[in-house]
Amino acid sequence: MRLRVRFSKTGKIRFIGHRDVARVTERAVRRVGLPVAYSEGFSPRMKMSFGLALPTGYESDGEFVELPLIADAVVEGSAPGGGDQGVSGPVIVCQTDAHRPCEHEPESSAPSYCTVAEALSEALPVGMEVSAAVLTDGRGPSLQAATRSCGWQFDIVGLDPAAAEKAVAEFLAAGTVVTERVHKGETVSSNVRPSVEVLQVVGCSDRGAVLSAVLSATPRVVRPSELVPALAPAHEMGIARRTHQWTCGAAGRAEPAVPATCAQKHKELISG
Amino acid sequence: MQQPTLGPHLTSWLLTYPDTYEVGLPNQGLQILYELLNERPDSSAERTYAPWIDLEAEMRAHGLPLFSVDTHRAAGEFDVIAFNLSAELVYTNVLNCVDLAGLEVRSSRRNDADPLIGAGGHCAFNPEPLADFVDFFVVGDGEEVVGEITEVVGAWKRAGKRAGTREGVLRELAGIEGVYVPAMYDVAYDGAALVEVTPKYPDVPPLVAKRTVADLADWPYPRQQLVPVTEVVHDRLSVEVFRGCTRGCRFCQAGMITRPVRERPAAQVREMISTGLKRSGYDEVSLMSLSTADYSGIAELVRDTVSAGALETAGADAKRISVSLPSLRVDAFTVDVAAQVSRARRTGLTFAPEAGSWRLRQILNKLITEEDLYGAVRSAYSQGWHRMKLYFLTGLPSEMDPDTEAIAHLAETCARIGQEYTKRASVTVSLGGFVPKPHTPFQWFGQNPPDELARKVRLVRSALGRNRRVQLKWHDPAASTAEGIASRGDRRVGAVIEYVWRRRGTFQEWSERFDLGLWEEAMAASGLSLDWYVYRHRGESEVLPWDHIGAGLHRDFLWQDWQDALAGHGLPDCRWTPCYDCGACTEYGIEHIVASPVAPNGGSQGTGQDLATGHLVPVELRPRRLASAGASAGGGA
Ligand code: SF4
Repeated sequence: MRLRVRFSKTGKIRFIGHRDVARVTERAVRRVGLPVAYSEGFSPRMKMSFGLALPTGYESDGEFVELPLIADAVVEGSAPGGGDQGVSGPVIVCQTDAHRPCEHEPESSAPSYCTVAEALSEALPVGMEVSAAVLTDGRGPSLQAATRSCGWQFDIVGLDPAAAEKAVAEFLAAGTVVTERVHKGETVSSNVRPSVEVLQVVGCSDRGAVLSAVLSATPRVVRPSELVPALAPAHEMGIARRTHQWTCGAAGRAEPAVPATCAQKHKELISG
Repeated sequence: MQQPTLGPHLTSWLLTYPDTYEVGLPNQGLQILYELLNERPDSSAERTYAPWIDLEAEMRAHGLPLFSVDTHRAAGEFDVIAFNLSAELVYTNVLNCVDLAGLEVRSSRRNDADPLIGAGGHCAFNPEPLADFVDFFVVGDGEEVVGEITEVVGAWKRAGKRAGTREGVLRELAGIEGVYVPAMYDVAYDGAALVEVTPKYPDVPPLVAKRTVADLADWPYPRQQLVPVTEVVHDRLSVEVFRGCTRGCRFCQAGMITRPVRERPAAQVREMISTGLKRSGYDEVSLMSLSTADYSGIAELVRDTVSAGALETAGADAKRISVSLPSLRVDAFTVDVAAQVSRARRTGLTFAPEAGSWRLRQILNKLITEEDLYGAVRSAYSQGWHRMKLYFLTGLPSEMDPDTEAIAHLAETCARIGQEYTKRASVTVSLGGFVPKPHTPFQWFGQNPPDELARKVRLVRSALGRNRRVQLKWHDPAASTAEGIASRGDRRVGAVIEYVWRRRGTFQEWSERFDLGLWEEAMAASGLSLDWYVYRHRGESEVLPWDHIGAGLHRDFLWQDWQDALAGHGLPDCRWTPCYDCGACTEYGIEHIVASPVAPNGGSQGTGQDLATGHLVPVELRPRRLASAGASAGGGA
């Protein structure tokens, strides 16, 4: 049985790297007291697997981590099943019945929350909020392998929405869009056009036009920053935020876990 | 998460660690004061760290001042900017931080309403090299004195910090016990020699005596250890189990200036571990002190900490709590302790024999026999460790080539013992150049020049030959010279520090940034001689730059111990044997707080106990004050 957690990374905390996110998450799990399994061997580590790494400095509403639970964990809440997607209800996971978080003595410092999502949010640093926690049966591919594409929202500093509209139209009309990026210290150029599934202007922030995009994660993960030189060579990207990590479910595009309040909107997105 | 409360009515402190966040965040002294100042109703504290050169360049390019990490408030808006000085090579960073705050680096040129620049930590026991830049120093434990300083600064703040009142507030601070205000003292020289440092006013004390917290039980801090979101050097829970050490190692400044030994009650330690782990989510706890294996009941404490169920650990599997014991004495690292520690994850193990030969270890009063070391190493390998680090100093008083070469012999024997247990066994020898420190019996000793230190490193290297089981690492001998300038410097060295800083010589404790040439140039430009400040032996009657700072130790005790050292005589540990009146307790009316009447893990140190390993008590004890008067300071140089 695994616990799959969706969390955000916004504000100042976006500047910590992927390894730091792992460390912070591990400590939060221990503070909450979740019965997560450890690896064997001389240096046992908490088992955890994340979705696609988020570039440092990017924000996100859609980060995922999967935590395998120990065999005798006491679990209550939305049961696994229904494929490996789940819409979260309240999930309680504890070491034993005696550890049930909501039954802790009131004077203790333990959180009085009943759901994993709330307790973890409390234990994580400001800017990392858990929006969903679901149980899965742990079968199926890893989160990283399952992710097909990512949804993004990003703004371009000093670019007005009308100019952005024009640039997007030209971009989408082109068959090939070659841009450069630095990879392992070398400048490589590649055609990013095939990786762009969706690209549209959705508004304007105090920095400039806001674009939304769906960029494929295979054969390699294309970042929004790679599109900016083609869209607006004289401008820089402002803040980028990952909104989704899409997997390919039986019913088409799907996400590993969806916040309950977003479930309806989510359905519309999939069908739309 | 701690949130500093802000408000114009509060005396605001910016606690500054003059090195990177990664190095500075775990500092316990800073965390303790941070919490204490935020708990007080009349003060608030924020923190900052030295920005690395890339960030500094960006800040200067954009006209951004040094700011707090808590609320990004500009450093210049605080009432006090207080530095933690734990190493001399950070001094140029102190100047850089003051400059980045938008202030004049020299105290005399700062304006009335500017923040007061304070400093504390071990290096404050010789404040003179920074005397021109820092307004006030705190000597000794800071827990009590920060409150007294807050009251004085708060009153000044409420009165509006009017023009012409800065001198007055400094004079008032100089009246607080343990606070040294350099501007309140005149310094007289006769050529190169320092003649005296005297107070300018009758109400300013001629001797600034250190502050000592009598009982650690009154200070269960930090209660809310800071948990960083990025990786830092000691990324674990730290619990201070005792303060002070009277093992009496003669090179060790920390052991001399933090006397007496004050153990934290075992129940409080357990409570701090248990709540600390719960709060932080850490799975590792470091039991901090200068020599943790000397803590009364250490074996039980470690056992209980790693044992499942003995401590409630917020649901996490308690078996996964690992314990790290920094500063382990080899004569106290028994199989029992090794087994307890190894039940959880095995972290690296470091032993510090300090010198290669028994003769030299007697001179250091680091009374560890070869058998002690091999016993400890055997304990470790038998419990599953396969790598360990041995720490040595070179350039010690009376060190001769056979002493230096004996380092290789010790390391090779340790590696051979390891081979009996695992093919992977290896030993890393870490070799540091000895820098004599103020307030120690070795304060009179002339430091070895870099070429001599380098020669000794080569000696060890060639003695090791092609032994692939032993790796040798050494500290840059040139850096020891710069450290030596700042360690025993007087007020004139301030010009050297400023010179190095003005030529971008920051982060000098980082090997990639260190530049001895710059320091030599600065010494020459200031008309100061390296030989005078660093390499020369001092005589008994010489006025030392820190003579007006009191660490509690009688000067004649230190001199006698220096003479005893050269004669090869040991001194027992006074926490388990009668007091020899070094002054640390007797001067202040305090005493050791130690739960166990004997050394908890054996370890003779002159205590006359039977050792578990069964060898002879290795110390020759002699009545005090009988050492031969003619013993000379025979250096290895
Ligand atoms: S005063 Fe006596 S008991 Fe106290 S540290 Fe010095 S020698 Fe030890």
